Amino acid sequence: MRLVIDERRCKGCNLCTLVCPYRIFSAGKQPNARGIVVPVLDRPERCANCRLQALYGRTLCGMCQMICPDQAISWVEEKPGEAQKVAIEF
Amino acid sequence: MTYSDWLRADRLPHIYCAGCGNGTVINCTLNAVDRMGWKKEETVFVSGIGCSSRAPGYIVTDSLHTTHGRALAFATGIKMANPDLHVVVFTGDGDLAAIGGNHFIHSCRRNIDLTVVCMNNQIYGMTGGQGSPTTPRGALSTTTPYGSQEPAFDLCELATAAGANFVSRWTSYHVKELTRSIHQGLGVPGFSFIEALVQCPTNYGRRNKFRQVMDQVEYFKTHGILVQKAHRLRDEGLPIPPDAILLGDMVMRDRPAMGVKR
Ligand SMILES: Cc1ncc(C[n+]2csc(CCOP(=O)(O)OP(=O)(O)O)c2C)c(N)n1
Ligand code: SF4
Ligand SMILES: [Mg+2]
Repeated sequence: MRLVIDERRCKGCNLCTLVCPYRIFSAGKQPNARGIVVPVLDRPERCANCRLQALYGRTLCGMCQMICPDQAISWVEEKPGEAQKVAIEF
Repeated sequence: MTYSDWLRADRLPHIYCAGCGNGTVINCTLNAVDRMGWKKEETVFVSGIGCSSRAPGYIVTDSLHTTHGRALAFATGIKMANPDLHVVVFTGDGDLAAIGGNHFIHSCRRNIDLTVVCMNNQIYGMTGGQGSPTTPRGALSTTTPYGSQEPAFDLCELATAAGANFVSRWTSYHVKELTRSIHQGLGVPGFSFIEALVQCPTNYGRRNKFRQVMDQVEYFKTHGILVQKAHRLRDEGLPIPPDAILLGDMVMRDRPAMGVKR
């Protein structure tokens, strides 16, 4: 699974940066084509959902998705054969 | 199914300002409704007028966007005409407690089987930031430029006194707890009232020292205390901080209810 921010929905409020226990989100710097500064992701493969959602068959944590007032955060399935990044934290 | 299946994706992004807490409450409510396993054809969302009341327009089920303050009157009509429907009401603090105040207390008194989610931003958001019955003392708004001098309504105490079966309060920061309480409220026969304090960065936060969206959410995080803890402090004779926001399930009881599914 891959964590994605839908740039068509995000309004750049940065609430996701407040709740993620892994601090994956941080305030962006560059405005996008819509003039909105979308948060940037720091190694999103660390997210519990990216690693374990398929194994558990349900959404884990999910704080960013729940607090996102613009319904812009979701997890998408990788395409078959797509290269996957793995992060291990000690 | 997940909560996103209940959203009208073609209607998004919604009109709410960046960082408006109403969107978060929609997520939590839809998550709770989704967990109930209800059918879309048997679920109705009703609202009055206000930013908060635009929520049903983003949901796939049948919905009713009624006149200002009358959401509960229309919802009562739906429920009494067809008790088999699941009726959820979205409302704002102005909609529920100012113009709709009488409908509110009488719906609680009748204990109609509705679930009411009030997005309390402590201001009239849609019309440009006038003071509402829940605007805290001292808060600035366009109608209280020197700070509100009136005591505010505590909506949960109002609902409790008027007879609601389930009463709970959370904020837009406490998403998991809010979802759990709405889920519990949906299952309770009789009137369930869930107040969700939300940030209105445009009309409340900006005027009241919450420069960033996050500042007000941080405030909710740091000032919220559980009712159980507040009761414990009171019993021990210790002071409860005056700016504390009491959170949690306030009431869960079984008064006779109307319009319950047969
Ligand atoms: C009968 C009537 N009176 C007044 C209005 C103007 N009006 C529209 S929205 C609103 C206040 C909404 O406040 P609230 O319910 O707190 O919703 P919010 O926008 O804050 O979410 C008012 C007074 C109206 N639409 N209809
Ligand atoms: S005016 Fe306030 S309540 Fe209305 S959409 Fe903007 S932030 Fe939300
Ligand atoms: Mg309001």
